[in-house]
Order: sequence, then C-alpha cells, then structure tokens
Amino acid sequence: MSDAIALPRRRVRGRFRKVLPAYALIAPAIVSSIVFLYIPIAFSGYWSFTKYNGLASPKWVGLQNYTDLLSDPRFLKALLNTVIFVILGMGIGPVLGLMSALLLNQAVRGRGFFRTAYFLPVMTSLVVVATIWKVLLNQHGIVNELLGVVGIPAHNWLGDPSTALVSVTVTSIWQGFGFETVVFLAALQSIPSDLYDAALVDGATAWQRFRYVTLPALRPTIAFVFIIGIIGSFQVYDQIFVMTSGGPLNSTRTVVFDLVDRFDSLKYGEASAVAYVLLVILATLSFIQMRLFEERA
Amino acid sequence: MSRTRPVTIAVLAVFALIAAACTSSSEPSASDTSGSQEPVTITVWDYYGKATPFQDSVIKGFEDKYPWITVDHQGIGWDAAQQKFAVTVSAGNPPDVATMDMTWLPTFASNGLFADLTELSGGQLNGAPIEDSYTQGALEAMTYGGSYVTMMFDFDVYALYYRADLFEQKGIDVPTTWEEMQAAAAKLVEGDKYKFEVVPNDCFHWCQFLFQGGGSLLNPDNTEAAFDSEGGLAALDYQRSFLDDGTGVLWGTEEGDSMAGIKDGRIGMFQDGPYWMGLLKDGAPEMKGDWAVATAPYSTQPGSYLGGTGLSIPVNAAHPQEAWLFTQYMLELPQQIGVYEYAGAAPATTQALNSPELNKPDPYFGGQAPFAVFLDAMSTATHFPYVSSWSDIDTEIGTMVESVMLGKSEPQPALDGTAATVNDLLASG
Amino acid sequence: MTARGATISRGHRTGRRLRPGVRVAIYAALIVTSILMIGPFYWTFATSFKPAGDVFAAPPKLIPNPWTLQNYRDVFTLLPFQRYFINSVIVTSAIVGLNVVFDTAAAYAFAKLRFPGRNLLFFMLLITLMVPFQVNLIPLYRIMVLLHQVSPLLGVDTYSGIVLPGMIQVFGIFLMRQFLTSIPDEILESARVDGASEFRILRSVIFPIAKPAMATLAIFTFLGAWNDFLWPNIVINSDTMRTLPVGLALLAFRNTISVGPTMSGTVLTSAPMILIFLLMQRRFIEGLTAGSVKG
Repeated sequence: MSDAIALPRRRVRGRFRKVLPAYALIAPAIVSSIVFLYIPIAFSGYWSFTKYNGLASPKWVGLQNYTDLLSDPRFLKALLNTVIFVILGMGIGPVLGLMSALLLNQAVRGRGFFRTAYFLPVMTSLVVVATIWKVLLNQHGIVNELLGVVGIPAHNWLGDPSTALVSVTVTSIWQGFGFETVVFLAALQSIPSDLYDAALVDGATAWQRFRYVTLPALRPTIAFVFIIGIIGSFQVYDQIFVMTSGGPLNSTRTVVFDLVDRFDSLKYGEASAVAYVLLVILATLSFIQMRLFEERA
Repeated sequence: MSRTRPVTIAVLAVFALIAAACTSSSEPSASDTSGSQEPVTITVWDYYGKATPFQDSVIKGFEDKYPWITVDHQGIGWDAAQQKFAVTVSAGNPPDVATMDMTWLPTFASNGLFADLTELSGGQLNGAPIEDSYTQGALEAMTYGGSYVTMMFDFDVYALYYRADLFEQKGIDVPTTWEEMQAAAAKLVEGDKYKFEVVPNDCFHWCQFLFQGGGSLLNPDNTEAAFDSEGGLAALDYQRSFLDDGTGVLWGTEEGDSMAGIKDGRIGMFQDGPYWMGLLKDGAPEMKGDWAVATAPYSTQPGSYLGGTGLSIPVNAAHPQEAWLFTQYMLELPQQIGVYEYAGAAPATTQALNSPELNKPDPYFGGQAPFAVFLDAMSTATHFPYVSSWSDIDTEIGTMVESVMLGKSEPQPALDGTAATVNDLLASG
Repeated sequence: MTARGATISRGHRTGRRLRPGVRVAIYAALIVTSILMIGPFYWTFATSFKPAGDVFAAPPKLIPNPWTLQNYRDVFTLLPFQRYFINSVIVTSAIVGLNVVFDTAAAYAFAKLRFPGRNLLFFMLLITLMVPFQVNLIPLYRIMVLLHQVSPLLGVDTYSGIVLPGMIQVFGIFLMRQFLTSIPDEILESARVDGASEFRILRSVIFPIAKPAMATLAIFTFLGAWNDFLWPNIVINSDTMRTLPVGLALLAFRNTISVGPTMSGTVLTSAPMILIFLLMQRRFIEGLTAGSVKG
C-alpha cells in the first residue's frame, strides 16, 4: 500500500531532478529572450492596438490598425511583393545551393578557393552588395553591356515597375545562396558512403542514387534551410532600401519596408500592427513546415 | 528549490523592468540652470558628416565664450539621424540641440517633439528680433502651430545649373520661361548627351514646377489638395515634355548618383540646390568654368520648394536654456559663413547671405557669384505644408509623378486620383 | 584537401573516375560562377584605389589607372578608424564568445534531452526571429536607458548595450541543434552511466565533438555582429564607442556619399571576415558535419 503511493512521488521527484539540468542549460537563452526580445515584442503587441507616436500616451483604438491595414492597398501590395520575393528566392536559392554543393562535392582541385568564392557574397554586408548591384544593373551598366553581347536588349532593370522586383530578387539570390551551398555541402559530406555503395551494388543510376539516397539524407538540412530561409526572406529590407526605396510605383515595396515607413512617420501603433501580421504569417508557415519536415526526424 | 529561485528572480526582474519602462516617459527635466553658472554639459548632434560646420574649433569657441558649459558634440550619420532622434526623444534621453532636415519638420512638429523656441528665445536672436535675421519664407518655414520650432541653419532651394560652355558654343540664351527652357534643351541636346535631368519620384523636383505654374500643394488651411488644378496639369505636362521631346533624361533612384551623368555628359542641365556647388567642385574639378547657375525658368512666377536644415531643441531636452545659447552661437555670422566653408551648403541667415565672403565671384562658375541666384530663389520659395500626414502625401505625389513620367498613367486622371487619396489622408490626419 | 583515398572514408564523394568531358564541364561551371560571385566584390576593391574623379568614369574602368592610396589615407584621417576597429573587435568577440557557449548549451538540451515543454519552448524561441528588429527598437532602447541609470557601465553608450541583446541568438541555437541531433546517443548514454552530469557531458563530450560546428557558429555570428548597423547606431552616441559600420556611415551626407573612402572603408571592414573565412573554411565546412562522422 504505502509502496504504491510512494512510488509515483519518487518517480516524479526523480524525473524532476532529471530534467533540471535541461532547464538550467536553456535558462540563459530563455531569460535573455524574455528580457531583450519578449518584453519589446510585448510592448509592440500592446501598441498595435493603439495610436502611439512615441511621446504622448498611447491611445487605445482596438482592432482599428489591423482593419486599416487589411484594407490599405499599399500594404496589400507590399504583402504581395513580399510573397513573390519569397517564392522566387526560396524556389531558386536552395536549388542553386544544392547544385553548387553537388558540384563542389566532386573531387576537384582548388575546392577551398571555390568555396570561398561562393561564400564571399554572404560575407559582404547586404548594403554593400545592394550598392554594387545598383551600379551594375544601371541602364549603362555592365549587366546590360554583357547582355548586349548575347543579343538581349538593354533594359532599365530597376527603373521599370515590371522588372524591378525580379532584379532585386536576383541580387538577393546571388548574395544568399552561398549560405545554402555551404550548409548543403557539409550535409552531403556527412552521408556515409556505404549507402551509395549499397545502391551501386543494386544497380542504381546516378539519378536514382540522388533521389533515393541523397535527398532523404538531406531532409533535416532542407528543413532547416527552408524554415530559416522563409523567415529571413519575408523580412527583406536592406536591399530594397538601397536599390529602389520601394519603387518604382511601389513595385518593390515589401512588408518590412512598409513597417519602417510607418515607424519613421512616428506611427508606432500601425508599425506594430504590421509586425504582428507578419508574425502570424511566419508562425503559421513555420509551424506547418516543422510538422511536415520533422515528423520523421 | 534551486529551480524556482532563479525563476522567481527572473520574473521579479521582468516586472521591475516593465514597470520602470512604463514610467520612463518623456517628462522634461526639472533643472533650469539658466544664468546659474553651474557647470552644465549639453549634447549636440549634427548630421553633416565629416564636412561639418560644427568643427572642433567652432565648438571650442563656444566653450570659451560660456566657460560653464561643456559641449558633448557628436556627428551622427545622416542615414539614421531621423530615427535616432525620434527614438531618443521617445525614451526621454534626447540630445539638447540637433540638426533637423526641414522635411522632417511636419512629422516631428505635429507630434510635439520640439521645444517652443518662441517662448524659449523671448523672440530675440543674438540681441535682435528673430524676424530681422531671416526672409519671410524662412520664418514661415520655421513656424508650426504659431511658434518657432526650429531655427533655420542652412537652406535649400532649386535653381538651374547649366553647361555655360555649351550654351556659348551653340549660341543658346539662358532661358527664363518654360518655353525658352524647352527651346534651349532642344538646342543643347546632342544624341544622348547634354539632356535635362528629369527626376521623377519626389516632390522636390516636380513641386517646383507646380509652384512655377502658379499652383500650390494644398489649400490655405491645409485641409484639401490643391495640386490637381491647372497648375498641376501644366507642371506634369512641362516635366513630361522633356522626355517626350527627347531632350530630357529620366533619372530615377536606380540611376544612382547623378554625378556620373554630369561628368560623362549625359546631363547638360539640372535643377538642384546650393550644395551642388560644393559637390561639383569636389567631384568634377575638371569641369571648372563649364557650369553656371541661373534662376529656374518659370511660367507664371519663379518658384521652388524651400528646405534645408534647422536647429531644434527637443521638448524634453535636459538643458534647454544652454541649448538655446548654443543655437544662437551657431547662427552668428562667422559660424554661418562656416556652413558654406565647411559643408558647402548655403547658410540661412540673411546676414550671412548678404556678406561679402559669400558674394565673391567664383572661378568654378566662370566668375559668377552664384549665391545671389540662390538668395533670389529663396525669396520666392515655398516650404512644404506642415501637416502630420505630409510624409505620406509626399510619397503619394512622388508615386503619381513617377507613374506619369513612366507613361503608366495620364496626367489628369493621375492628379484626380492622387488628390482624392491626399484628401483622405488629410481627413484622417 | 587530402588524397582521394583518405577522404572517401569521411563521407561520400563521387571521387571516382569522371569522364573528362564531365570534369571539364564541372570546372567550367565552377569557374564561371566564381567569377560571378567575386566580380562585384572585385569592383569594390578596384574602386577603392581609384582617384575621386575616376570613381564614376563611364565606361567603368576595370583596372584603376591611375591608382592611388588616397582613399585609404582619407579613411584614416577623416575618421578615427582605429578606434572603430577596436570597438568592433571587442564587441564582436564578446558576442561570438557568449553565443558559442550559450547557444550550444541550449541546443544540446533541445537536441538531446527530453523535458516537458521542449518543443513548445523551442517554438517560442523561434518566434522571436519572426519579428522585424525595428519594432523592438524603442522598447529595447528604453531598457538600455534604464540599465544605464542603474549603472554607468551598462546600457546606453556602453559595450554592454550592444553585446547584451545579441549575446544569445536563436539562429545559433537552431543551427547547433540541427547538428547536435546527429551525435549518436550511445556516446551520451555511456557517459551518463559513468555518472557524468549533463554539464560535464556538455563540457567534456559535446564541446570537443562539436568544435568544428561551433567554429561554424562563430563565423556566422561574427558576420552578423561585425556588420550590424541598426542597433549599434541607436544605442551608441559617443564617437569613441562606435563600431565600424556606424562610423563609416559618417562618410555620407544627405544623398551623397564620398564613394572613394566608403569603398576603402568597406574593403577594410570586410577584410577581417574574409581572412578568417579563408583560414577557417576547411574547418568550417568540416564543422558542419559534426558528430555524424562514423565512430
């Protein structure tokens, strides 16, 4: 009798002591996040329901900021532009990254040099990259000259509303896919070769080896790349600021650009609402992705 | 329990921080040390970068004059100066004096970030009424809600910069009206070169045409859009005409710095402010003697936007009295001359503008005294309306102009549509 | 890299005989893309040696001619560059050091230990990545003002003001968790059976194995911290405390920039990172395979 009662208690206490180290290990991260991230985010949450200019007391307006946003054509355009940017960027970037990783995984000489070359854009600040590309994409810049050699007519890439967004996206992909390359390359190198040997013994072609050995082994890496990548791409700002300032005709206006615009106008309530809309979108997407990818992790 | 203690502490700390942050509002400091001669340190921010009129020697001059005041002077990068100012005022930790771009004024003034300078100064600037130091236009630009919110420090108006050498070579007369300007542009152009720079996406460039055609941005009490008038239509048509005739080159953000176009000859004429005098000398020294400045051609009356830099004191500055002393000091003649000397910008006080130093013939501009042109333009310049939604209105107008310049919309419908949007913005203001 | 034989045992490489045509194609692809990658950066480097008049020359000169060191001299005379550099080094080193230790510790817990609320807490941390930093500016700044009132060594205008918000980064935790999951549980179990506490395991088992991965984390964190502009610009007022990106911004005024010194400033700012990467890139790549390598 007393045993039956004592057992659960002991088990609980034992379990408690067992998980204590885990909590201790994550405690610095949790505390730091609370103080430097969650408190500010909470403030913004509160402000998103108010009209607030930073100086006078916030004035409660309920959901008005949100309803205004969802009927604001400029914000909706920003949302659309951002979605296009993310789809293009995350559709192409990881693919390029994987392809480069596969290339670099071959036993080629000068691998160190090539790796550095691919990663160089990632190491350079976004502002510098954007500034450089702004010059290159100029009407009279190198890009148009080179395209002319191949017979493609010169175009005002950043000045034409129909090509501006794509041009900025290309710049971002150029700058960022080195990151995916490096991450995929490492993952590729950690796939045990016996798996490939076994596949070869079974008579698998190169494509089949890729499809049935490489890709599944890369699953967790792909998950990481997409989750982080989507969170990051949705918040694109620096390139827009440098290259196009959201134009021409709002064709490159993105969500964070819209947010900063409102922030600079001292409309902190509206800016916070934009941030929270973004948060809801990203949280939903990440949640879905984590379910999808990490089910079998 | 070793688990709960750290958690409890953390939670208490969090509550303490929240409570403190909630109350760290922007109450003005209680201390008023004017005349008390107790040692005081004031913080001064300027965004001029390295070519600043706030040189160490200038600062020292102030400290010598007022020995009990120490100046903590910091140059703040232009890029984030606006944000930094807003954030620090909001947190109750602002500078005492800061340079303000006049285009920031509507947003900041309408949100009450500035101290009332009329009150603080008692109407006097360096021993004379404030009105004696500035043109009428400048005084209006410095006023919001009936008081002065800033003291203009340097000013920006647009005039016409043109290739005088080519004008002479081709026998072109300096244009004074719109028709003459269009004719001059046609004679100047050579293939792809020497065109007139058309800047599509801001109100600085287009609005000058609006004013020159007799139009205005908003009605007198700033409650309704007024740019969708004949003046607005004429301005759009005028600006477009250069693109249609092939005498103008569209210079949007993606083109980058116009210096490149100036140097390689794509731009033969452009309209911009006095600081371009310094820029040309630094960036295109080889073009000495090629350029000259003239009043921007107009249709009904000369016109330009009026902008520049002002010196403002935050509403919650720690030492407003000393800040005002410093502001006055920077507006004394030697310091104002310094604005041109160091930063290549045009000082705002009439005393400086009329001084012999600034009215010397300039060899870069073929012996012309270009300041006279800008001074002239200043008296016919109009500042942007000080409404809280100005920055949104600015963006809407810029987008509209860009759309018409790119041929994506027709002038009249674009004007009407934007006017409606602007009216909404003004109403919800 | 070593001989092919030695590398095959480390992991898969299709190092076997490739048809010459394929080899050439691979090299060609690598070289062309490398040029695309390096090209724009080369332009910055070249421009930093051009005299002011040539910066905007059209057509753009590929090789500066004449070339000058004036832009580099300007950077040092116009700005207290050494001071900015030292500040950047101090701040970045602190951030990197703290992140490497604490991110890994947390990642170990999330990857290898079971505890209630594990997935939820991880997701809560992930959420903080989804909010653009601008929204946090004002509250965070106010916290810093408060801290400064508590102690002049903390908060606004101090190194701690820059370091504290960045000392633990969720991206780092995510990255490390990703790699730590591939460490075989048996190693950890045997250590536990031997009576080691989790802290001991972290120090003696995890850190050594994950060293290369931690080097990776160090590089990514270094990148972010070294180039950070927005927050240091707001929290630092004094010129003596500025970091490189903030200091370099002083070369801009209104809508014009002194391109020459800006380019040379950029080159000088990027150089340390590139050097570090070049030196560590082998470990860096190897590092990303942490633990998964056969026993």
